[in-house]
Amino acid sequence: MRKLVLGMALAAVTSLGVTSVIAADDPIEIRKSIMQSVGAAAGLGGGMMKGEVAYTPAAGKAVIAAMDASAHSFGSFFPAGSEAGDTTASPKIWEDAAGFEAALAKFSETTGAAMAASGKSGPADVDAFKAAMGPVFGNCKSCHEAFRVKK
Amino acid sequence: MKKLVAILVIVGLAGAAAGWILTVPETLSKTQIADLPSGDPVNGELLFWAGGCTSCHAAPGATGDDKLLLGGGLKLETPFGDFVAPNISSDQEDGIGGWSKVDFANAMLTGTSPQGSHLYPAFPYTSYARMTLSDVADLYAFMTFLPAVSGKAAAHELGFPFNIRRGLGLWKLLNLSSEPVVSAPAAGSDADPDLWQRGRYLVEGPGHCGECHTPRDLMGGLDKSRWMSGAAAASGEGRVPGLDPESDIGSWSAADIAYYLESGFTPEYDSVGGEMVSVQENMARLPAGDREAIAAYLQALPAADTN
Repeated sequence: MRKLVLGMALAAVTSLGVTSVIAADDPIEIRKSIMQSVGAAAGLGGGMMKGEVAYTPAAGKAVIAAMDASAHSFGSFFPAGSEAGDTTASPKIWEDAAGFEAALAKFSETTGAAMAASGKSGPADVDAFKAAMGPVFGNCKSCHEAFRVKK
Repeated sequence: MKKLVAILVIVGLAGAAAGWILTVPETLSKTQIADLPSGDPVNGELLFWAGGCTSCHAAPGATGDDKLLLGGGLKLETPFGDFVAPNISSDQEDGIGGWSKVDFANAMLTGTSPQGSHLYPAFPYTSYARMTLSDVADLYAFMTFLPAVSGKAAAHELGFPFNIRRGLGLWKLLNLSSEPVVSAPAAGSDADPDLWQRGRYLVEGPGHCGECHTPRDLMGGLDKSRWMSGAAAASGEGRVPGLDPESDIGSWSAADIAYYLESGFTPEYDSVGGEMVSVQENMARLPAGDREAIAAYLQALPAADTN
């Protein structure tokens, strides 16, 4: 019985591995999962800002670090040809590549500043967190206004 | 034979005359004009944001005080052709600085220009027609304080038959009404009646939400049997989400809707995008009670096809 359970667990892990290997070839899937982590981080950050979730510096730093990692990697997954498929990326990303680059640069600039402000253990209190995250949150709308199409 | 021709000619002429009469651009009645108050610019500013004037009539991408420069220029590329938002700044020559309050009220409520011709419904007078005379007068009073911007916007580029303004008379007979769309909150709703009424007024009137969130028929009229059920974007790509309880935001609470209109964040912390960004930023300038009213109305929308 034990062996069977172990076997099933292994099979599950392997199949997960296979799925993610396939996904690794697909820039649309990768950029979507990056943006999902941005959304989840924003959810936690927003919840703490609104007082729905208790603030801790470690959680604050986790939000900022997830945003920062995403901001630096997100732009690498829009190769030519990836405008077609199950995506809400606007064709403007490729038509106005310079504009998209500039939006990404602003995103990673603000997350970098937030990282710098959060120090080793994260922003001390929720007000410090708000001050660090405010400019980061400002990117969501401006980039989604120009470069995302809802389908 | 001669008689037949004569009859045909007479019938033809009668038809043409009837068509001509049916397409006459209507204007406000004398009583309505007499009822136009002097106008309160403070309330007018609220209606300016609720009405979203700046989203089309300011330069695309304008931020801050530039949103008050209404020189026009946004191009709406639709299946009927390209509409260009005109200059509605207070400039005497290029804007509407020369319009009287009656001219302005006629445009807003009847879709008729000071020269007595039909305006195209890309200007959403089909919604503005539900505004009160007093709110229109207030909006006029506010807009006279906005800066003059010189320069006319480009002309519309429309193909036949849409380039014949007179034909809009028939379209307006079918599609222009000052009656509310939804007569009552959905059965079982516990919406506060006053809040709901205010929400209905804002959504169906100045806010003109239905103009994008409701599908249109082949002639470009709103299909009110599918009110707020979402639609293909009239301009550009993508889809405008539905707002009724059956559709995309059905799981949101009233507080979620109000917070979205204030902050631009969905309950999942996705952000507002596309053309809605500008709309949301306008809504953020309304008093909180008005955003709550909009939320109350949307929450109590009857499912599409039952209103």
